[in-house]
Amino acid sequence: MNKTDHLINELGRLPAAVNRVDYRQQGYHLEARLQAGQVPAFAELLRQREFYLVFVSAVHVSPAIEIIYQFACFARPCRILARSTVAADGTLPSIANIFDGANWHERETRDMFGVVFTGHPGLELLLLPEEEADLKPLLKEEGALKPADQIRRAPDEEVQDTKPSTTAEPGAKEPKGEHRQ
Amino acid sequence: MTTNPDNQQQSFFLNMGPQHPSTHGVLRVLLEMDGEYVRDAEPVIGYGHRMQEKLGESRTWKGFMPYTARLDYIGALPCSHGFIGLIERMTGIEAPPRAEYIRVITSELNRIASHLLWLGAFLLDLGAFTPIMYTFDDREQILDILEDVTGSRLTYCYFRVGGVSRDIDEPFVEKTHAFIRRLRSRFKLYEDLVTGNIIFIKRVQDIVQFTPDMAMRYGVTGPILRSTGICYDIRKNEPYSVYPEFDFEIPVGETGDCLEVYRVRMREMEQSLRIIEQALDRLPQGPVLAKTPRQLKLPQGDASFAVETARGELSYYLISDGGETPYRLKIRTPSFSNLSLLSELTRNVLLSDLVMVLGTLDLVIPEIDR
Repeated sequence: MNKTDHLINELGRLPAAVNRVDYRQQGYHLEARLQAGQVPAFAELLRQREFYLVFVSAVHVSPAIEIIYQFACFARPCRILARSTVAADGTLPSIANIFDGANWHERETRDMFGVVFTGHPGLELLLLPEEEADLKPLLKEEGALKPADQIRRAPDEEVQDTKPSTTAEPGAKEPKGEHRQ
Repeated sequence: MTTNPDNQQQSFFLNMGPQHPSTHGVLRVLLEMDGEYVRDAEPVIGYGHRMQEKLGESRTWKGFMPYTARLDYIGALPCSHGFIGLIERMTGIEAPPRAEYIRVITSELNRIASHLLWLGAFLLDLGAFTPIMYTFDDREQILDILEDVTGSRLTYCYFRVGGVSRDIDEPFVEKTHAFIRRLRSRFKLYEDLVTGNIIFIKRVQDIVQFTPDMAMRYGVTGPILRSTGICYDIRKNEPYSVYPEFDFEIPVGETGDCLEVYRVRMREMEQSLRIIEQALDRLPQGPVLAKTPRQLKLPQGDASFAVETARGELSYYLISDGGETPYRLKIRTPSFSNLSLLSELTRNVLLSDLVMVLGTLDLVIPEIDR
């Protein structure tokens, strides 16, 4: 996995916090945490390293909406999940000029969450009809909104290269073995 | 939509769809035309939007299972496979080997059915009426086989967490073997009827060009990506289920034009037959459904699961807050990304060629709109 180590180093210099995760449990290899301003540089680097964009989406948590990016690579199995929090004014830099496919994904995310991607070439409605432009259907209602730490995996399981934790999470069957990968 | 101010020619706008036979569903393409030539083609989507992702977070994961078959209804089983795989990945439940084999067999049958439908409909778009009669005849055999075991013909809800809902029996195996023999003999017929036809070749060859760079920029996957020479198939690159146990190839093209996409899809059907054959020969005995708790909560955290459908990479991303109902379910569908390159792809082609390109993309609109 030399190439992946190299990539982690490169991404770390951005600087972005990148961790390996257990593919068998989470279905992706690397997890990155970005500041809003780092997103274009991050995407630019992955574009140069011949990654493609799987999707851009978001999740509504308190205190602020998180934007989720997933990238993967044609040449080798390396799936990256990146998260970034929108700025206080509800905006985030667009990556549509780096990955053309992000154009639609960002428009969809604006439809669903109202996030404004700055620098997007045409942030118009994609899926919603004009009369429902302000619906923002995927925003959580007051009672259903959870803080960000309540949707995170128990931290001891994120550590790289260790066996899956043996502490069972409440109400869940303990993940065991690999799911045939 | 942009108009080149230097362009002295008069252009006009043309609405194709949303009710148009060759958009294969409720898709609208807003065309800026210069005579017969397309200057810009902007897809307008969302007519069939059902807010599937909201449905996913407003009911339990079990309640969402039937919806997964309503994304790509032409090849529904691989879509279900992805969602079930995701839940199994999160909860650590494993399906018995026999169930995994049955999943692969039925998924591959469904993939062939999807390719057959594409073949017929694509040629119909080009004005060839006869082939769809043959391909639907073949596809009908698959639907009959799948109906026997799943209980439905199109929108299956057959896979369960921990296995499949019903075991396959001896008649299923016999019928599937018979179908494999039948389809192999039909490939020759399709070859004679279509592949060697000079009119067909002239209609599809070198009209537009898919490139690896374009695929990376737009996230194009599936047969279109593979026609450009990139060997990328989730079944091989990030293997799931029991796919690593079978000997099969990923057909890859070179030139990246529509004829190459056609060739890749035709060769894929043969590879699916090979997988089915091997799976039937080595089908393990045993149960088809593991014992699972009645109430199954998803552990706190997130997980992703990608599968190769007939159209490319379908990927689910689920975030759980520890309950039975997902906190957030993102569904990434292949046709969504594959369609987004249409505008760049079809600059300055003839209108009739745009119809051909739309056919090549093999769109399933409910999958795009979700």
